Amino acid sequence: MIRRLNIPDLGGAHAAILHRPHATVVALTRQLEAIGLNVSSYWPDLPVAARSSDYLFLDVDTAYNEQFPWPPGRAPVPTIALVGSEAPGRIEWLMNFGADAQILKPVGTSGVYSALLIARATFDSRAEMADSIASLRTRLGQRQTVVRAVALLASRGKSEDAAYDQLRAMAMAWQISFEDAAERIVANARHQESEHG
Amino acid sequence: MKREIDLGILFSRSGTYSLLGEASLTGARKAIAQVNSDPEFDLAFRAVERDPKGNVDDYAPLCEQILRESSARHIIGCTTSWSRKEVIPSLERADGALWYPVPHEGFETSDRIVYTHACPNQHLVPLLDHAFARHGTNSYLTGSNYIWGWEMNRLAREVGIRAGGSVLGERYLPLGATDVTRIVAEIGEMQPDFVLNQLIGPSQYAFLLAMADLRARDPYFAQGNCPVLSCNLTDCELPAIGAAAEGVIAAGPWFCGMPDLAEGVERNFGSSFEVVAHASVIMLARLLHGRPGAENWPLAQLLALPQPSAMAINARTHHTRLPVVIAQVQGGVFVPLKIMGPVEGDPYLTLRSETPRPALRMVP
Repeated sequence: MIRRLNIPDLGGAHAAILHRPHATVVALTRQLEAIGLNVSSYWPDLPVAARSSDYLFLDVDTAYNEQFPWPPGRAPVPTIALVGSEAPGRIEWLMNFGADAQILKPVGTSGVYSALLIARATFDSRAEMADSIASLRTRLGQRQTVVRAVALLASRGKSEDAAYDQLRAMAMAWQISFEDAAERIVANARHQESEHG
Repeated sequence: MKREIDLGILFSRSGTYSLLGEASLTGARKAIAQVNSDPEFDLAFRAVERDPKGNVDDYAPLCEQILRESSARHIIGCTTSWSRKEVIPSLERADGALWYPVPHEGFETSDRIVYTHACPNQHLVPLLDHAFARHGTNSYLTGSNYIWGWEMNRLAREVGIRAGGSVLGERYLPLGATDVTRIVAEIGEMQPDFVLNQLIGPSQYAFLLAMADLRARDPYFAQGNCPVLSCNLTDCELPAIGAAAEGVIAAGPWFCGMPDLAEGVERNFGSSFEVVAHASVIMLARLLHGRPGAENWPLAQLLALPQPSAMAINARTHHTRLPVVIAQVQGGVFVPLKIMGPVEGDPYLTLRSETPRPALRMVP
């Protein structure tokens, strides 16, 4: 499968760098500005304003969890790790942090543009995946409701297959999901039960 | 008394794109002679020339040789993007700077390189705008099989789709290959509105010859219908192609007969490759003039002077502001159809909202 991936406008986008004052920041800033982004760097605190930037670069050599006001792996912006030390402990920290792309230090003049594209794409697909997982979880939770709805429909003299088909037809007629239709049938039955005592 | 400064020159005088290398070399040599004989300059360049002979693997070692065996810190050189990318690590290791005087596909801003010829917003994008308005939006894309052709055609596809057009076909040839039969047969069958050709050297010559043959036998392609477009064909290759080049539409910063870029006067230049190589050397001479020792400064320090922006070099992108000329081969010479600009180089196409935004195809 070939997916087309649209890249957001990088011209005028804002990048935040969380790194102590250093030649790495100078080189990275130069490259980001050449691409057309606005750049601010911070250390050691990431101000609230920086959290609404379009990209966040962080220094894996010196970063620690308390700098980031979100749980590991849940960054609200695409993040790019600047990797220097390859000590396993730092790599483990990086894996838990869950950056969307990485650049090996020292930062030269290549790698920054591709890291921006990859970070954005990974971030977007991560958000998309979180959405589908949430929706799958909901549907999984509704599985019991589906079983009950099918049983209810079948109890009116249909085979289980026919009841299943009927539920699908109702969902289509109501223009809601299969699971939501099941929920409605179960709720109706409950309602009727309470009316009829 | 002029101070003598070593200046590296790294162009191929043989191989598949020797005409382009020769043109750049001629421009650089003319500029060196001009600087050396001009008493207004307090410096003279001593050329340190190396010839990679079109072999991509020889560029990096020869680049490093220039930087190690002479006192040159600046090199005018490279024709293909492939070779340019090859020398970047050498420039970094041996502390050198490259003046790259050839059109390129963008998406690169090395702090070791000054890109003095056009990038896509100065060649491909205006050329496509012209083609869409005059000929239509259905294209056929072809090119040599390396980064220049791939990236230029990817961009062309993107711009074309944005303009509501479609790409009827896309095919590549290895560098130096001349078997264009399949490509031309496909074009004959598909009848696009225009063909975008990013072929290099002999591949391009063979292709234009076969297209001329197609025009002679298929009325759809007669009378200049379905023109062939190029972003790197210049006057210097027209003699090698002959009548088959007739009708080709190209974009570039300069064509024969226009005033040159460095001084705005008319000189006897043969192509934009020559003009831009010449302008690069003159710009460097102006930066070094009156600053003894500046020849050993890092490129960033040199570009931080006020002069570069007056000479149209952008210190942020390392690209130059250039005129944009759309020209067509008529009667054996390029005749300008449209002269625009000068336009700031925008290597990542992020400066202007009307420039196309890149999109990628991802194969998971």
